[in-house]
Amino acid sequence: MRMLALLAVAHLQLVGALGSLGGKPHYIHHGWFLISVANLVVIVLMIVVFVLALFLRFPRERDKR
Amino acid sequence: MSTQAEPVGWTGRVRRAVWKAYPPERLLPDDQPAYVSSWVYVFGVLTLASLIAVVSSGIVLVIFGPAWWHVSSVGHFVNSLHLWSAEMFFFFMAVHLWGKFFMAAWRGRRALTWMVGAICFLASIATAFTGYLSQQNFDSQWIGTQAKDGLNASGIGAFFNVLNVGQILVWHVILLPLALILLVIAHVLLVRRRGVCPPLPAAEPSEPAAEDPDYPRSPDPAVEWSGAKRRYDLIKELVSALGVVVLLTVVFSALFSSPDSKAVTAARWANANPTDFLSTAVTELDRTSGTATYGPPYTHTPGAGQTIVDSLSLQRLVGVHIPIDTAQVFVLAPLSIGSKNDPPLAAALASYRSASPAQRRTWTRAYTNALDKVSFRDGAPVIASGDYGPVALMMRDLLAQAQSGGLDGALVASSHFYQTDYTRPLLFFSDGAYLESLAEQQNLLGDQWGMMNETGNYPGQAWLWLYTFWYQIPPFKTSDNADAQIWAIMALLSLALVLIPFLPGIRSLPRHLRVYRVIWRDYYRRAEATRE
Repeated sequence: MRMLALLAVAHLQLVGALGSLGGKPHYIHHGWFLISVANLVVIVLMIVVFVLALFLRFPRERDKR
Repeated sequence: MSTQAEPVGWTGRVRRAVWKAYPPERLLPDDQPAYVSSWVYVFGVLTLASLIAVVSSGIVLVIFGPAWWHVSSVGHFVNSLHLWSAEMFFFFMAVHLWGKFFMAAWRGRRALTWMVGAICFLASIATAFTGYLSQQNFDSQWIGTQAKDGLNASGIGAFFNVLNVGQILVWHVILLPLALILLVIAHVLLVRRRGVCPPLPAAEPSEPAAEDPDYPRSPDPAVEWSGAKRRYDLIKELVSALGVVVLLTVVFSALFSSPDSKAVTAARWANANPTDFLSTAVTELDRTSGTATYGPPYTHTPGAGQTIVDSLSLQRLVGVHIPIDTAQVFVLAPLSIGSKNDPPLAAALASYRSASPAQRRTWTRAYTNALDKVSFRDGAPVIASGDYGPVALMMRDLLAQAQSGGLDGALVASSHFYQTDYTRPLLFFSDGAYLESLAEQQNLLGDQWGMMNETGNYPGQAWLWLYTFWYQIPPFKTSDNADAQIWAIMALLSLALVLIPFLPGIRSLPRHLRVYRVIWRDYYRRAEATRE
């Protein structure tokens, strides 16, 4: 029960942190290149999802002639 | 039998053609070729499911009206659903596009399927763009004032006015979604008509006679697959995808909500930065502001308007379609409303109107110089005495009118009762520094890759990375014609995306990159096994 309560608190803290998307914008800036952390996360997620889709095993069914 | 009889008339011929192209088992299949066994294939249906979520949430927003989500928590949540389902739509569509590129999915008379899909992608960008413009908040104001330059430079802005909220809203809720839905239907029907593209050849068979017909090593993409098949439930797949998309959309909306930065008004501007307001207003009065010297589609300024190469200017070719006289529209007309009950102001306006152009310029220049040391008492400007003629009183009253909120109404006033066109106030705001300073704080400027960015920490329009990229590099970074040139480049690149199936070199890239070997690895393994 104690562990569950701790997990619930951690979850709420995470939700609170994630929910503050309207705050001060966070950006990665290097020379002329500038990208928001949110956009970077989306682009990285797209690549990760695509790579996972390539390599994860697709459920196999028996062929049907 | 009536179905075997020769069709009669147009209806009969159309019925026969439809029946032949789309027999029920092809339209709603319950099996698929055995090579369709990779997660890469699911992104098409996930994109479709996301589109259903976008349209559904959009319909709710339409039912309650464009202002609902600003004033209702339920409306704001529905707007969040709309935003996150749109984000997911683009997310899955981009991954779907990558997958189809690496499969070279245009092979075997499927070029039209690719082309319609690519046009769907471009139409989606246009639809999302009008959505951002329809928000009626600071974000849409800034996007509108920046996007107008690219559209004006390409000549489109004269007819597709991004500052006219009424026009853009109709495009966003009717014309573009309708076009997109029809394009998506056409794309799906083409997929059903031609079937899913078979694997690229594992290797050219040295002994064709020994090849297993169920797992040919070089399947002909133009011939309907007759080899091994696997069970498939199209409806179940779509419903499952819809379940995943709806769940993710609700979770993201509940966790992250959606941004809604308060719109800038003349009142907010005049109270927050009265010096900038006065500096801008006086340039509108003497017709030296950005809008006054813009050129087509707003003014007839000689030589103004961007060129693509040499003297080729679509902006000038199209001409002035939204005429704006900044002195009259932004200063004199609003002031004349109050002058009816204000004799000193009426006298000042009469004095200004009757003065020679040279005399007016002397007054406005002296007033502009005096603004360097302006101070404010109870909101009213206090400047050193000088030869300003009636300009000082006019500017003082215009500032008071703006601070009280009266100018916001005056700038959109016309002979019509209903107002949906915000071209005038947005052009006025964009001539000042206040709007830009707010945008800079949110990293929305052009040299901040602003086209990709959203206010706060929300994901923006990552799919515009290439468009905004050109603005960061020479010669476009410093070019006066950057908008026209970048629009021309993007038009060519968009055409290239649509025409990839016909572009030598690019269309062969998937064969060299060999990602397809991973996508169809099960198929190649079975083909090898059955061959041995």
